[in-house]
Amino acid sequence: MALLEARNLRKIYRLSKRNVVEALRGVDVRVEEGEMVAIMGPSGSGKSTLMHILGLLHAPDRDGGPEPELVVEGRDTTRLSDSERTRIRATRMGFVFQSFNLVPTLSAEENVALAADYAGMQGSRGRAVARESLELVGLGDRGGHRPSELSGGEQQRVAIARALVNRPTLVFADEPTGNLDSARAGEVLALLRRFNRERGQTFLLVTHDAEVGAVCDRIIRMRDGRIVDGEPALGVA
Amino acid sequence: MRLLRNLARRKLRTALTIAGITIGIWALVVFSSMANKINSLVEGGSQYFENKILVTDASGGGFAALPVEAEEVGRIAGLDGVAAAVPQVSFFADEEFSGGFGQPDQVEGSVAGADGGRETFVLRPVQGRLLTPEDEGADVAVFGSDVARERGAVVGQPFDVRGRRFQVVGILEPTLTAPDATIYLPLRAAQEMFYEQVPPIVRDNTTPDGLVSQVVIYPTPGTDIAALADRIEATVENSATLTGEEFDDLIGSSVAIFNAIIIGVALISLVVGGLSVINTMAMSVAERTREIGIKRAIGGSRRRIIRELMVEAGVIGFIGGLLGLALGAIVVFLANEAGRTSGTVLFDLTPGTALFAVGFSTVLGVLAGVLPAWNAARLDPVAALRYE
Repeated sequence: MALLEARNLRKIYRLSKRNVVEALRGVDVRVEEGEMVAIMGPSGSGKSTLMHILGLLHAPDRDGGPEPELVVEGRDTTRLSDSERTRIRATRMGFVFQSFNLVPTLSAEENVALAADYAGMQGSRGRAVARESLELVGLGDRGGHRPSELSGGEQQRVAIARALVNRPTLVFADEPTGNLDSARAGEVLALLRRFNRERGQTFLLVTHDAEVGAVCDRIIRMRDGRIVDGEPALGVA
Repeated sequence: MRLLRNLARRKLRTALTIAGITIGIWALVVFSSMANKINSLVEGGSQYFENKILVTDASGGGFAALPVEAEEVGRIAGLDGVAAAVPQVSFFADEEFSGGFGQPDQVEGSVAGADGGRETFVLRPVQGRLLTPEDEGADVAVFGSDVARERGAVVGQPFDVRGRRFQVVGILEPTLTAPDATIYLPLRAAQEMFYEQVPPIVRDNTTPDGLVSQVVIYPTPGTDIAALADRIEATVENSATLTGEEFDDLIGSSVAIFNAIIIGVALISLVVGGLSVINTMAMSVAERTREIGIKRAIGGSRRRIIRELMVEAGVIGFIGGLLGLALGAIVVFLANEAGRTSGTVLFDLTPGTALFAVGFSTVLGVLAGVLPAWNAARLDPVAALRYE
């Protein structure tokens, strides 16, 4: 069974009366468990919108076309309330962002523990899994540092530790290497690939970096709110 | 801890907001303490006047300007419905009125036990003893708690009142009302001193034992007090009566005005403090838009976000309340210490007032946090994440 199956995803952003952006014009996606998939395309192609909808951060439009469907781990999510979608994000999903997005007032360990807390692991248990998660990304000794005291590569590894602390089945990464130099980008990418292989976690990466795409099992190419190509990426090892 | 770090991050604004609340709560504490003191004075008076009638001379305009003649006491005592009529002499303890804001110290003379045990406002000695009927003719005195402390009266030592030497035999427990500022003397001694103070024209026509300044009437149970007061006024020429009900009406209106001022201060501090907490929290939410977006994206529920911000607002209110209370307590303490020497103890900061002040500002903070927190929770996580 597919981990994630979506049909008829549409999204129109009405920024003002005259400025209407048709971000998704009817997209069908299917992601199998254990896959590492890149969503690629030029800016404005709808790849971020697609990720936001698949990550349950936004809901697809219901009007203007056939009924949308978004089944995550066998459960239709299109009619869930905000708090139910938040719950799924907290317990089943992980998120990594381009600009790291760590909470600046919290230490690395506290940032990771916060996600553990949202997933239902509070107090000392939360801190324990946070430390464990930081060790997995090679930052076991940096837990007490604030984000401002860490390099970009380290911050992104903290963000990965945070995304993985709830042992998600599905991890979304929005331009995870976009703010890193190529050496750091390679480290981060290798880390994601390792978790995908070793733990069977499913990764969905939004990127316009061809090197990132090349590491993935499959590339979904988008243009103007539609998927133009869903072939397996070339050069998969 | 995290929460305090969030507050510390915006040091100046948080400090200003806390300062605003501190001032509001400070004003609330000081005014409430003043109200407590005044209310307890009034309550004591009200309790004292309950079920009794005070008869004074009306020609001088109310409160004991001119004496009542002692022979009238017998006529009043003979009226229907009067269980006991107790003549009293009272005058200021100092020849010159010192002009403080509080009550001037009083001297009160009456025959101990003349009420036949009808007095319900019972005084107790904290040291020494109360006056007894056998003290008549002796120069002994019992001091109220404040007047004893201010004037340094000590049981067993002599003490001069208006140039006359008395032996101090007792000091009373504090009552928080009039008796605290009263020196109690036997009737005879008080009459002799009072005689010296009345205008010569009165003095020439009477003797010391013919003078009293007021008569306290204890009605027999079940008597219509207002009707009895009318009968007394009809019987005794130029007399004025004050019943418990009249006392409450008289004082009640000024107390009501004072209480209205307190409520006004509380409302102003509520509005000012509340608005500044709303402002601070709204700014804080705006600054943390991105952080809220992160938390929502990685699985923080709306409820968690709301709770977090409301608790933060509540902590601002709580800290402001504590500081305001501390500042108010210092002012009350210093003012009372300064006032004690001049006999003007104006404030009474009760535990209830203290708890109310801190509780009030905490609740105020939490309520002021509701709107910004609600707005924060409704942010679109994706838009919030893009926010710079």
